[in-house]
Amino acid sequence: MSRFWRNVLAVGYREARVMLHDQAFLIALLVQPAIMLGLYGGVISTQPANVPWGIVDRSQTALSRRLVEDVQASGYFLRPRRVAGYSEAHALLRRGTLLAVLVIPGDFRRAAERGRPRVQLLLDGSDPLAAARVGSYVAQVAANVDVRRELRASRPPRPPARAGAIDARQRFWFNPTLRDRDFFLATIAGMLLTNISLSLTGASLVGEREMGTYEFLLSLPTSALEIVLGKLLPAVAVAYVLLLAALLGSGLCYGFWPAGSWLALFVVTLPFMLASLSVGVLVSTFARTSAQAIFLSTFFILPSFVLSGVGLPYQLMPHGVRELGGLFPLRWYQIASRRIIERGAGGAEVVVPTLMLVLFFAAMLVVVRWRMKPRLG
Amino acid sequence: MSWRRLRTLVVREMRATLRDPFTLTILIAVPLVALLAFGFVLSTEVKGLRLVVLDGSETPASRRLLADLAAHGTFVPRRVATRAALERALVDGTASAGLVIPADFARTLARPEDPRPQVQLLYDGAEAVLAGNAEVYLQALVEASGATLVRGGPPASAGVRVMPRALFNPRLDGKPFMVAGTFGFVLSFLTILITAVSIVNERLAGTFEQLQVTPATSVEILLGKLLPLGAMFTLDVVLMMLTAGIVLGVWPRGSALLLVAVSAYYVSISLAAGLLISGTSATANEAVQKTVLVSIPLVQLSGFIFPVRSMPAAVQWATTLFPATHYIALARGIYLRAEGVATLWPELAALLAFGVVLIGFALRAMGRRP
Repeated sequence: MSRFWRNVLAVGYREARVMLHDQAFLIALLVQPAIMLGLYGGVISTQPANVPWGIVDRSQTALSRRLVEDVQASGYFLRPRRVAGYSEAHALLRRGTLLAVLVIPGDFRRAAERGRPRVQLLLDGSDPLAAARVGSYVAQVAANVDVRRELRASRPPRPPARAGAIDARQRFWFNPTLRDRDFFLATIAGMLLTNISLSLTGASLVGEREMGTYEFLLSLPTSALEIVLGKLLPAVAVAYVLLLAALLGSGLCYGFWPAGSWLALFVVTLPFMLASLSVGVLVSTFARTSAQAIFLSTFFILPSFVLSGVGLPYQLMPHGVRELGGLFPLRWYQIASRRIIERGAGGAEVVVPTLMLVLFFAAMLVVVRWRMKPRLG
Repeated sequence: MSWRRLRTLVVREMRATLRDPFTLTILIAVPLVALLAFGFVLSTEVKGLRLVVLDGSETPASRRLLADLAAHGTFVPRRVATRAALERALVDGTASAGLVIPADFARTLARPEDPRPQVQLLYDGAEAVLAGNAEVYLQALVEASGATLVRGGPPASAGVRVMPRALFNPRLDGKPFMVAGTFGFVLSFLTILITAVSIVNERLAGTFEQLQVTPATSVEILLGKLLPLGAMFTLDVVLMMLTAGIVLGVWPRGSALLLVAVSAYYVSISLAAGLLISGTSATANEAVQKTVLVSIPLVQLSGFIFPVRSMPAAVQWATTLFPATHYIALARGIYLRAEGVATLWPELAALLAFGVVLIGFALRAMGRRP
């Protein structure tokens, strides 16, 4: 083994010992995956549920009651509240007591007989995501109400017309019930690794500089590059432990196992981890105190989470913001992990995101080298 | 407690902050950047989604269907030649949905006595949120286009038509929702973080001990630290309100004064939380870890992005124990629905109660510790 790698290993060994002594870090390492698994596995969902809604039923016919029952049966709604009229509906929506009010007009039945039944749905637009979803659920349920069958009881039967011109059969691949849980669980490893990697390098490098142990390391016959690589080594090991914890956790707790190649997942994790860690190293060259390093890292982590598409789909963000998210390694890692974990992809399908991560890492190395030169020369 | 000593300490703190460009940048830039970043990310508008099409029919009717889909702008159709290519596009995420048109599409469409032609709509369920949004549009578009394809005009629709009308935000724009939430995020996470870290740092640097040899009491020293921070964050509220209005076009519909007043009170709650965290942390890093742990539920469970009513019942109850939940509800009510004290009083009362308890704890801790 060359001198270079011996030095790297020595620094790595020292770093691992330091890490094992840091109790706060070890606790964070245990607690963070547990919290994430709990939150994303069982608590958080973007799908509306328990939606409080009301009805203004001016028709009071079997048909209008049928419509209300059908909407209720979709399972997203609480029991509807009877609302007297528009002004009360408006007041309840304004107060946030209700999210939607269905207004069934007085001539609803007559309109149905003429073939043009219409209802109005008032939505609380202040919660746009929920309002949009609820609006489309109600529209879907209403479109499927078999008006003719409801009317048949009192009218002579007519020949049944075709319901629509085209019979569209739909299926959701990879996640047939569109569970948000799978959507989130596929990316918690990425979130955990982003969190840990920045606190591992950024704060720890600055911490050494503050304590004066960095100078001590430099006075040994080790080069700056050897020190940095040695510091990355145990961090990468920690990353794989976390990745395994996230995969086993979601598998054992929720029965959600990766559909694709574990090997591909482990391979793509390496450039991602190196890229994230190198951001930490870059942070350390800017920060003078470890508090500053922590602030800078936090303000890298936050936009990573928001813009990368782990929680909200990046495909719907406006242009500009969407491309900005491409500058964060988490974007590419979440794309790769969704492909592997949810869609069952192998190595071939994640070549592009892997290359992007390698490219990011290479660019960071260049920048870090340029930033570190004056200090270590 | 002497007001004169407190004033001296406050002035000292202000001078120190103004001389530290790093902290100043964080205090001003981060809230504004967060506002702009969060402001744009929530979109309910589905536009330009990629759709792979396997057209087994290749007839004027199927081409017409595709042209209708493309014209709407929600989907960008791309033809593929084989089923394998379609499946690959869904697996590697280059398409969000797929449409399979059978070979007998035009034939069955032309003959009313046959069963309806079947097309297959496939969605990438891995992007659950996206698929949920795409589903509604694609089905409606196929339905509408199909109606125009049948000879003799559209058949009378079978179901009930719903005319949706969104109050307070007719175009269901995501920006106001996120702007109001970002106030909660900044005033919880950032405030607790900066308070905790700066107190721990000051203790580590030994400045507290230096101040302790002066006649100043520890309550005065800590208040001298907290008051300028609180003023700074209250100023942030005003700055964020202006930025949201000028850059994003989102102005509060309710009383801006009420929003600032409620926010200032909420800042003091966060300062108290930061102080309590700093008291139990030996290093800045430890304070950060604790703040992050406290902030995960703050951000995820307070309704900032994910709706509280979709959570399990026990968690829903637990979220009422976070002040952030109430503050975000207040900010949204004032910002989006122009609510006033008359309808917001339950949230205000809850926030008031939490504040009294937390600030009480913090004051007690202040008196005890150097």
